[in-house]
Formats: sequence, structure tokens, C-alpha cells
Amino acid sequence: MTPVNPEPSAALVEVKVKQVLEDSNTDTKIVVLKNEDGSETLPIWVGASEGQAIRLAMDHAVSPRPMSHDLIRSFADHLEVTIQHVVLTDVKSSTYYATIHLASKGVDRTLDARPSDAIALALRATRPIYVTRDVLSRRTAANLDAWVAKLETKNIET
Amino acid sequence: MITQMRVKGLIFDPYNNAYIVVLRDEDNADMLPIWVGKSEASAIGLAIENVTAPRPMTHDLMKSFLDVFDAKVISVVITDLNDNTYYAKIHLTYEDSEYTVDSRPSDAIALALRTNAPIFASESVIKKQSSDELEQWLENLKPEDFGKLDS
Repeated sequence: MTPVNPEPSAALVEVKVKQVLEDSNTDTKIVVLKNEDGSETLPIWVGASEGQAIRLAMDHAVSPRPMSHDLIRSFADHLEVTIQHVVLTDVKSSTYYATIHLASKGVDRTLDARPSDAIALALRATRPIYVTRDVLSRRTAANLDAWVAKLETKNIET
Repeated sequence: MITQMRVKGLIFDPYNNAYIVVLRDEDNADMLPIWVGKSEASAIGLAIENVTAPRPMTHDLMKSFLDVFDAKVISVVITDLNDNTYYAKIHLTYEDSEYTVDSRPSDAIALALRTNAPIFASESVIKKQSSDELEQWLENLKPEDFGKLDS
């Protein structure tokens, strides 16, 4: 079965993982997502190990043993489930929500996931990552404040 | 031959900055220590303590992936040990067929605990990994090392 991408829609923007940055203050990592022409940027804070999983997937690093997201992909292969794409759907009090879109024998299923898992899985399965316009527009208001607050903390400490 | 094992505990190993998942068989005759990383240990620890995270953790996602397609985890087996790397198999049923999926023991155990599937270890693994190593390690352990579980 060929994976089906969503219809080009004004509501969704395809993004790629540009880099995974260290946030030395908080033992977290920042996954930087950008759209194709680079006009939209979405930073997402994830845990250290989640960030590491995304970085490994970005580098197409092959680990000697399957990592957790390789295992999910392997389940998909065994059950003949197609991972179609993932969508970062919502942000509520700095927590991001994502969905993983799957298809099996013509039936579509959607799983609730953390963005870090959704992104790691999309990279492992080389499937597209989308962000809703709504999340992109709300980033500017809510999350830039958090971003700035963290930068200020950093400046004070150095 | 395989032996059913239970997860008896999770110990912090300060010398290797890693965690040890301790598996024991029913009558406590055999023990299998497995060294895992911090995030793997946390995935197993949350399941041992029955803690539900506000957002699905990676192995919760794994479970919901299988649930949504009505695939079931029948059992997981720690199958082999080579150069200090453990190998495991996850046995699934899906639409009347059985599937065996290669995995790391940490993923297999984290998933088994969430799906209430039994955990087995092959006899050869238990033999190869005599508990000498762990006992030696426990002897060297200082009382203050135990407090580090919380960190």
C-alpha cells in the first residue's frame, strides 16, 4: 500500500527537523522545526533522551540493536501497517500534542502521541511531519515568552 | 528451555552510571541482571510503580499502536547474550497469525509490564550470565549508593 499524504491544505504546514540544540540549563533539548522556505520556525522542548532519539534518527544512525522507535516501525512492518505522517496538533500550557496517522488495509487510524515520539517515528520511517497553522500562530504568543525567559536565565548565569 | 521471570527491582549502578533490572524466577533460584540506560530504566520503573504519565510515554505509544489494531503481546523472551548485549523477542498475535519481533530486552520488558504479558528467559542466557557478576557488584556497594535511586 502506498502511503497517502494529506491533501495540500491551508491548515497544515510541512516542517523538517533542522537541528536539535542543547539547553544546558534544564537538561532538555530543543528540536527546531522549519518549513520548506524557512519562513516559519517552531522550537519544541523535549527531554534529553527524546532529543537524543531524534538526533540519532536525523543522522540515520544505525544502532547495533533496534531502538524503541525502530521497534514501533518493526511492529508496523510485521502487521503491514503503513505509517502515513504525523501532525503536531495542539499546544496547551506549553505541552504539545501530536497524532500519528496509520493505515492498514484501507482503514485509517490515529494515535495520540507526544511530539518527540511522533517526530522520532516519522524520521525513522521517512514520513512527513506537519504542524497545524493554529499551533504555529500560537507559538508566537505563548512560547516565545518561555524561550526569552530561558535565554535571560542563561545570560544571568554566564 | 525457557524460564518465566519476574521483574524484582531496579538498582542504580553508580560505577557505570546505569541501572540494573533484576529478573528472578518464581522460586528465586535464578537471577538475571540486565544493565539498561537511564531512559530505559525510567520506562520500566513507571510500569513497575503503575504510574500513568499525563502524556503517553514511548512504551504507552507502543501499546496503543498494538491495541488499535487488536494485536496482542503473548510473551517476551530474553533469548541471547553476546558481548554483554542482550537480545529479546516479542511474540505477538494479530489476526490469527503469530509474529516474532526482535527487540532490546529493555523495550521488551517495558512493553510486557504494560500489557501484562509474561517475561521469559532462555536457559542459555541464565547460564551464561551467572549471578557472580551482580553479587560481586553488590559486595562493593556502599550504603550511601542506595539513596541515589531517587536522583
